[in-house]
Amino acid sequence: MIYLDNAATTQPSERAVARAAEYLKDKFYNPSARYHGGELVAKELKESRDALVGFVADRTEYDLVFTSCGTEADNQAVFSAGKRGNVVISAGEHAAVYNSAVALKNRGIELRIALLRRDGSVDSEEFLRLIDEKTSLASLVHVNNETGAVNDVAAVAEAVKRKNPRCVFHSDGVQAFGKIPFRLNSAIDLYSVSAHKIGALKGTGALLRRKTCNLSPLVYGGGQEGALRSGTENTFGIACFRYAAEEKFACLEKNAVRLSGLRERLWALLDPALFERISPNHGSPYILTVSAACLRGEVLQRMLWDRGVAVGTGSACSSKKPHSRVIEACGYSAKTLDGVLRVSFAAETTEEEVACCAREMNFVARKLKEKLK
Amino acid sequence: MEKVIIIRYAEIHLKGKNRGYFERVFSVNLEKSLKGIRHELHRTSGRYLVAAFEEARAEEILARVSRVFGVHSYSLGYRVPADLERIFQAVQLVAPVSGTFKVDTHRADKRFPLTSMQINAEIGGRLLAQNELLKVDVHEPQSNVFIDVRENGTALVFGKFEAGAGGMPVGTSSKGLLLISGGIDSPVAGYMMAKRGMNVEYLHFHSYPYTNEQAKEKVLELARLLSRFALTQRLTTVSVTHIQEEIHAKCAPELNVTLLRRFMFRIAERIAKSQNAKCLITGESLGQVASQTIEGITSSNAVVTLPVLRPLVGFDKNEIIERAKKIGTYDTSVLPFEDCCTVFLPEFPAIKPKLSFIEEEEGKLDVEALVQEAVGNLEEIRF
Repeated sequence: MIYLDNAATTQPSERAVARAAEYLKDKFYNPSARYHGGELVAKELKESRDALVGFVADRTEYDLVFTSCGTEADNQAVFSAGKRGNVVISAGEHAAVYNSAVALKNRGIELRIALLRRDGSVDSEEFLRLIDEKTSLASLVHVNNETGAVNDVAAVAEAVKRKNPRCVFHSDGVQAFGKIPFRLNSAIDLYSVSAHKIGALKGTGALLRRKTCNLSPLVYGGGQEGALRSGTENTFGIACFRYAAEEKFACLEKNAVRLSGLRERLWALLDPALFERISPNHGSPYILTVSAACLRGEVLQRMLWDRGVAVGTGSACSSKKPHSRVIEACGYSAKTLDGVLRVSFAAETTEEEVACCAREMNFVARKLKEKLK
Repeated sequence: MEKVIIIRYAEIHLKGKNRGYFERVFSVNLEKSLKGIRHELHRTSGRYLVAAFEEARAEEILARVSRVFGVHSYSLGYRVPADLERIFQAVQLVAPVSGTFKVDTHRADKRFPLTSMQINAEIGGRLLAQNELLKVDVHEPQSNVFIDVRENGTALVFGKFEAGAGGMPVGTSSKGLLLISGGIDSPVAGYMMAKRGMNVEYLHFHSYPYTNEQAKEKVLELARLLSRFALTQRLTTVSVTHIQEEIHAKCAPELNVTLLRRFMFRIAERIAKSQNAKCLITGESLGQVASQTIEGITSSNAVVTLPVLRPLVGFDKNEIIERAKKIGTYDTSVLPFEDCCTVFLPEFPAIKPKLSFIEEEEGKLDVEALVQEAVGNLEEIRF
């Protein structure tokens, strides 16, 4: 199987899993336990925490709260910061932010949504225009998970703070962390990340937090994670996250350059008579989203699977909500929306896999087009 | 004192010489429905008794019994030694706390020292003495206390009759093959036939990769839900993808659905025969969609010899929905899924297709080869 749906999830790094396995064997202790075994695990947990923060931020300024996933981190950010006035997000937010913000709206907080450009990045001028002295939270996705468009969150965050220094700025960095070179500047208060998008496991995420930014818990209990996220820590998942991140950050720039090349190679190999490009030219190296107009992406996806290639579509399809909200917000017609396919890479993706994927995509699209003629 | 469930059956007593057969099927079905729960099932004159079960699972047993066709009514009650003191102890558990009531005794064991009337008076009197909020009303009581003095030295005491599912024991009216799509109607159609004693097998058509695998999972769940009533646990799935592609490529687009349905019926008939099913069952309701006109029905019936039962033919959609909710399939039916018919759906399907036109268009296809191919690739899921 050629797996090119890495924006959905990645194959866990065998090395990271093997290294972390000690937490399933000898070091299974509860980090809250006050005997040596527990304290040792607690110490190592802190090391993982520091390491993960250190990859993208200054450890003296930032810490992080481990969560069960990126979605939980996004929820915690939105519900902690969006408590009054208005909340500003982009139309390109992942459902974890978008639907949390809609929930805030239902509680009476004004929700302002900035429009997208055609490539899925936010119209940053409009985003800033929506910020005023009453904005309590601004949330902008770092890398759009459906098109790969990269928002310049550092610059937007600074501009937001100039307009309203009290506004909390959050960014969902799930598709950026461990994939594109980036450091958090002091204007970014909160930043969500997820382990399973970079070769670690589902069930682990984190919310990076500037230490001066107040956060409230979604989950109450024994007071773990500084009482911001109770529940016994997922020591295995967290260690795995750290080791996988180490692998990715060790060659972050090299991977990014190589995969940008692969992304363009894939685009060059796709039949222009069949596919239209949705991803921007300078977006995430890890994502190429295209549309086979007048064909159904979901059908192509299953045909590809049967031929040994796994790719993504615009979004989970259902008869009630057939199109991706985000790609629709980019301004595409229904015909284009139907045919969206998202090919997403991992650091391990090879040129042969990409070539084979292009060949199969051309083949199935041609075949389906013929059948539907 | 022991908790028991008393089950009375419905139309079986009408069946004359076949009564023994109907009763046997009925008790097998009762046993099947209680599979996995420790119990004993006893037949006593004209009724069944579920006993020796864990009391904590009584409600579960009642729920299962309520779904068995052929059950006219059932009651949760107590079995006690036929002794006035013990009977009264049980009566106290089923008696109302206020309002009007009546004690209704049936005495099969004529050796019991009191007559039915005397038992009524004695028990009623004791209840009245104990609770001043109670009043006797023998004509229109708000509550009842039933006492059944059996011949084996025990008595049954219970408070109310719950209405059972009615109908006839599944299996006494042979077997049918239900064409199940994943929508709201077909499960209800299957339920209706099971209610009349028909064993139901399930057949689902899909058009992978145009439709997804979740659609199949959904149908499987519907079949599971129906099997609580209809007992069979086999779903057959058949791909009609190639047939749809051929129709789309070669035939008039307005006949798309009409032709597809004729293929479905042909395939269904072959599978029905191999499964020893004596008819096809569909969820069609007259005029609901373009293919469910009398002309559409005629064109599908023309390709099969087995009878096609359409128990919903005269039902409105909301009547069907109401039933689907009642039998518990609605919530699953409305989960999003893609019907294989929508993939190549023409803009203007023929509403009243002429048989001659249909046959002419169908002539462009190798019907037999396509049917054989589809039947050859069927999948069977036992659940």
